[in-house]
Parts: sequence; C-alpha cells; structure tokens
Amino acid sequence: MIRTAYKLLRIIGSETEPGQISLGFAFALIAGFTPLVSLHNVLVLFLILVLRVNLSAFLFGLAFFSGAAYLLDPLFHRVGLAALTAGSLEGLWTTLYNSTLWRLERFNNSIVMGSLIVSLLLFVPFYLLSNRLILKYREHFLAWVQKTKLIHVLNILRYGADA
Amino acid sequence: MTGDRASSASAAPNPAPARPSGAGRWIRWPGVLAFAVVTILLASAWWLLVDGLIECAVERAGTQAVGARVELAAADLTLFPLGLTLSGLQVTDPEAPTTNAVEVKRISFLMDGLNLMRRKVIINEMTVDGVRFGTPRKASGAVGKQEPGVVEQIAKTKFVLPSAQIPNVKDVLAKEELKSLKLAESLRADIQAEQDRWKQQVAELPDKAKFDEYKQRLDKVKSSGKGGLSGIVGGASEAAAIQKDIRQDLDRVTTAKKTFESNLARLRTRLDEATKAPEEDLHRLRDKYALSPQGLANMSRALIEGPLGERVATALQWHARLQPYLQSAGERKGNAEVVKPLRGKGADVRFKERAPMPDVLVRAARVGLDLSAGLVSGTIRNITPDQPVLGAPTTFEFAGEKLAGMQSLKLDGEINRVDPAKPRDTAALKVRGYHFSDLALSANETLPVSVKHARADVDLQAGLRGEALEAGLTATLQAVRITTGEKPDAGAVARAVASALSNVNSLHLKADITGTVKEYSVQISSDLDQVLQQALGRQMQEQARQFESRLRAAIAERVNKPLGELKAGFGGLNGIGDQLAARLQQATSLTTTGGTTGGLGGLKLPF
Repeated sequence: MIRTAYKLLRIIGSETEPGQISLGFAFALIAGFTPLVSLHNVLVLFLILVLRVNLSAFLFGLAFFSGAAYLLDPLFHRVGLAALTAGSLEGLWTTLYNSTLWRLERFNNSIVMGSLIVSLLLFVPFYLLSNRLILKYREHFLAWVQKTKLIHVLNILRYGADA
Repeated sequence: MTGDRASSASAAPNPAPARPSGAGRWIRWPGVLAFAVVTILLASAWWLLVDGLIECAVERAGTQAVGARVELAAADLTLFPLGLTLSGLQVTDPEAPTTNAVEVKRISFLMDGLNLMRRKVIINEMTVDGVRFGTPRKASGAVGKQEPGVVEQIAKTKFVLPSAQIPNVKDVLAKEELKSLKLAESLRADIQAEQDRWKQQVAELPDKAKFDEYKQRLDKVKSSGKGGLSGIVGGASEAAAIQKDIRQDLDRVTTAKKTFESNLARLRTRLDEATKAPEEDLHRLRDKYALSPQGLANMSRALIEGPLGERVATALQWHARLQPYLQSAGERKGNAEVVKPLRGKGADVRFKERAPMPDVLVRAARVGLDLSAGLVSGTIRNITPDQPVLGAPTTFEFAGEKLAGMQSLKLDGEINRVDPAKPRDTAALKVRGYHFSDLALSANETLPVSVKHARADVDLQAGLRGEALEAGLTATLQAVRITTGEKPDAGAVARAVASALSNVNSLHLKADITGTVKEYSVQISSDLDQVLQQALGRQMQEQARQFESRLRAAIAERVNKPLGELKAGFGGLNGIGDQLAARLQQATSLTTTGGTTGGLGGLKLPF
C-alpha cells in the first residue's frame, strides 16, 4: 500500500507535464474498464506509444482501473444492455453488427459496450480533473510531502543515501 | 519515452529535461516503431501460445460441460489455410470416472477465415477419426462433487420369485381394506336416513281419512243436487272446489311417489353393487396375493426391464447433457436477441444479419467409430446450436457391415430445433445378427438369471417431442441359452422357473417406452410370459384355488351380517312405497268416480 502510494506520488511529483500524466490515467481508464483483449485497446496502445503519454501513469492506472472494473461489471452490463436494446439505436447497432470490423470489436457484448460508454464519457472529465489535482498537488503539497520522513526513507531505500 | 524516464526519478524534484516544442511536444514518432515492435511481439507470443491456449480452452469448457475431466493431447492451429487439428481427446464418463465415455484419436477441420473474424465458426467439413467408447483411463477423471443425474430412475420391477406357500388369509385381511364392507356401511346409513325422511314425508301427505272426507263431501253435494235448479248450481260449484282439492292432493302424492321411486332405484343400484362387492374383493385379493398370470408377466418383465431400463437411462442422461449445445439460450428484446454465453461475462446481443449464419456450424462431420466390433462410419450434418437461423435440423446416419459379432448396424435420425418451441428428436436403430453373451438379467439371490449367449435382431424407433418420450423396441433372439444359478435348497417354484428358462432357445420381445424424459414407463411383453405360465401353470392353479376358497369364506364371514342388515333396511323402504301406492290408488279412485263426470256421481250439469 505504501509502495503504491509512493509510486503514485513519484509519478505526479515528477517533472512530467501534468497533461501527459493525466492522459496516461485517462487512457488507463479506457483500457482498464473495458476487457483488455479488445480491438479498441489496440488503438489505445497505439495512442499511448505515439502520443507523449506518461507510461508509468498509464500502467499504474491500468492496474487500478482493471481492479475496479471487476466491481463495476454489473453496472457496465446494465448500461451496455440498455444501450444495445434501445429501440432508437437499433438501426445503428444492426449496421455495425453487419460490419466485420465491429464484430471483431465485440461491441454487441453488454460489458464491452457498457464499459466503453462509461469510460468514454468519463475520459474528458477525468482528464481535466486529474490535471487540476496534479497542479494543486504540486502547488500545495509536493514540498511538504518531500520533507516527510517516510518519503525520505523510501527515497533512500530506492536510490541510496545520495537521493 | 521521456515521460517514462521522468517518472522513474525520485519523488524529489529533478532537473527539468529539455521540453520539445510544437507537435513534438505531444507526439513521439519513435512510438510508431515501438507500436510495431509491441504488436509483432504480441502476435509472436500469441502464435507460440495459441495451441496451448486452445488445448486449455477445450479441456476447461469440456470439463465444465460434461462434469468430468476432458483431456486433449494436442492442438495444432494452422493459419494458411486456417484450420485446426485436435489429437487425443478423452472425455471421462462422469458415472464411471476410470473409464472414458468417448475417446477420439483425431479431429481436423478447416475454418472460414472471414466468418471467423465475424465471430462465426463455420466448418464445411470435419473429419473425426478413431472414435471409441468405454476405453479405460490411466487415472480417474472425476472432478469435484457430482451433480445428481437429470433423469430420474424409473421404479424398476424387481425380479421376485413367487412363493409356493398359500398366503395366510387372516394376515391378508388384516392389512387389506374390504371395499364391500365400506360400501355396506355407507349404504346402511343412507338407507336409514332415507327411511326416516320418507316416514316424515308420508305422514304429511293426505291419508285415508282425508280421502274419506272428500268422499263424504261429494256425497253431500250429490244429495243437495236434488233440491231444484238453485241446488244444482250450488252443488256444481261445491263439486268443482272439491275436485280442485282432490287434484292438488293427487299431485302431491304422485310427485312424492315418483321421487321415492327414483331414490329407491338409486339405492337399489347401490345395493346391487354392495352385494357384488365381496366377489370383487375376492378377485382383487386373489390376484394380488396368489400366483396369477399377471404375477408371472411381472416376473418375466422384471427379467428384461433391468438391462433395458439402464440403457434408456444412460441414453437420456447423455441427451440431457447435450441439450445446452443443441439450442442457444436466447431471449428476445424487441428485434434483438440477448444470448448469455454459457460461462462468459455479460450478454451478447444479436441483431438482424443481412446473410444470417449460425455462430457455430459444422456442415458435415465424417465420423469413424472404432467399436470393438469394427469400424462404423457415418456422417453428422448441420451441427449447430442455432438451427432456427440455419433453418435445418442436425441429422446423423451411421452404418457398419460384417462387424465382429454383428452382421450389420444402421443408425439414423435427427435432432430438430428449427422451431425452438417444438423440439423434436428421432432415432432409428436397426441391428442384425448381434451376438452377445453373459448378459445378467437378474441378481436375485435365490435364482440369478443371465443370458449365456444369444443372437439378436433389434429394431428401435425412438422419438422425443419436447419432454414427451415415445419409443418402441422389437427384438428377436435366437440361439438363446439362459443360465440360472439356483441353489440346491431352492424351492419348487425356483426349480420350475430355472427348468423353464433353460429350455428357452428363441425369444421375441417388445418394449414400449412412454412418458416424459424425467418419468417414463416401460411396457414389456415377451414369450417368457407363456414359458413361465406353462412351467408354473399347475402349481399356480392349485395355489390360487385353495387361496380363493379360504378367502371367500373369510370375506363372507365379515360381510354377510352387514349385507343382511342392508337388505332388511331396504325392505323397510319397500313398505313406504306400498303406503304411497295405496294413497295414490285412493286418490285416483276418487277422481275416476267423479273426475270425468264432474265428481258428482252421475249428476248431469246443465252446461
């Protein structure tokens, strides 16, 4: 737990631009909430490698959101099923259903659809909120955190006495 | 990767790296190469692991489905052409975990790549080689706790040797209820109630005194008619009033008599039934406790039902296990169908397809059954859980000739789920010249019975419509040798049965199985009934005669008194009938003497 918190503090306390860290978390939200082996996650992988996204933030977020997804699966199932069985969207889903690419995406699975909808809806708000929190942290807490004995000890343990 | 490098620094602030400007601030071009490398690495890892993954998937899904270990020796996926070969498939028999229910040497097929990307496994032709049944396993294939079988066992008729002893009549009557006694008691109470009711009713009806009074009034009117015209007119109106009263009373008596006669007829019918009931009791108890032709039929049926019932139960259990794969479990929501994967997460929703295809379809599977008798080959067509989408049922046909111990075998049928509301499965089996040996028919301690050897021709027609099961089997057995292991101290009946069975050298039997999958009955008829009847006929007749005679006496002793009381009570009712008849006669005589003539005894009215 302490190691995890330390890792998070290291990520958000680094010199990396807050936007890159936030984007890492936001992409992790999509990859973590949705089933990992999905076609859209290939696109996420491409984007996190091509865009200047903080990979540590992504990997940290991926571990966190994947765990959270297990708890949220019933919610995703409901949201996905409601979307897939909505009469007004039937034409759209039918068109996608007849497309090989979308069938490969498994959009017609309630959990894939539900988790994708939830993560896409949360993507931008989460990015903005995360950005703001990182800035606030750096502005108000970073100096204090760095001075705490625990961080000092953990820095020594990780980097040696010259850290 | 600059961001990653930065993040690996300590929580203490590091010297700020030089930040790219413009598009380079957000895009790292080497990432494209990294993506290509990662993709190639992932694809390579998949290619290296896919065979193992398929193997695990088949074993896991199979084990879950069967309820016992399913093992696969190897899986080999080829990409060009896209195909799969599975080798050494072993499916444990959940009922006997040290035996494989099915073992398949090799399954190979090619898949339609484009349809596979659309998550549809379409196999035009599959080859299944070296299918064997009941092979031994090196280790037990049991997994966890076994679920109870879907098929409930039918109540088998136990093979019980009939006793040569005459049953004790007192014991029989102590545990059996006599219908005749019950009828007599209930009828006696009803007769008594009827008697009381009619006595009261008769008392309320007009009696002889009342009719005499009418007669006197009429006589008085007659005499007053002789006093001139005014007397005639007054007498006529008085006579009409009397006549009206008489008719009303006559109607009451007539109605009462009709009702009484109707009730009496009903009671008479019941009395007749009660009188015949002792004889019915006698027959019922004789058939139940004495050795009868029905008892012998039960005995022969029990010999055949054991082995047959076991095979029916096994077939139905396997049919029940296949059910989830014969029909996809979909639920309609508007025009979409929600299909829950068997062990998956979430639910897949299906939409209308331009060219509908089942999710899984094997158009033709060429199967080679490697039976102990030899090779039986066949074809299964249209294997799919989505028959409504395909619009065609799964059909199968197998045939083998000149097999070891069997002249020929032919099996064909279909599994029809085209209309999910009307599932229909049929199968027809024809076996010719099947030699079998050491088939145990009964494990009765006194008289174990088994077929040492026989040659059978078997025809089976089986059909399942929803839950309704209907099957008919006819078999002709020739060159039969039945062995019995009767003990030296076995009774006369056991010796007679053993002797009769050992002389059987041909046998015809017919079995009809009807009912539902969960509860069915097997009706069996065979030559054995006649054989046993001939063997035990004399003993049976003598025993039945003595038992019947004793039973008749004992029943009569119990029933005669209540029946006598019944008859006496019924005689009392006849007395009431006589009273009613007498009153009706009196009333009628009044109307005939005065009815047509106005009741005035010959007095002519002027109008």
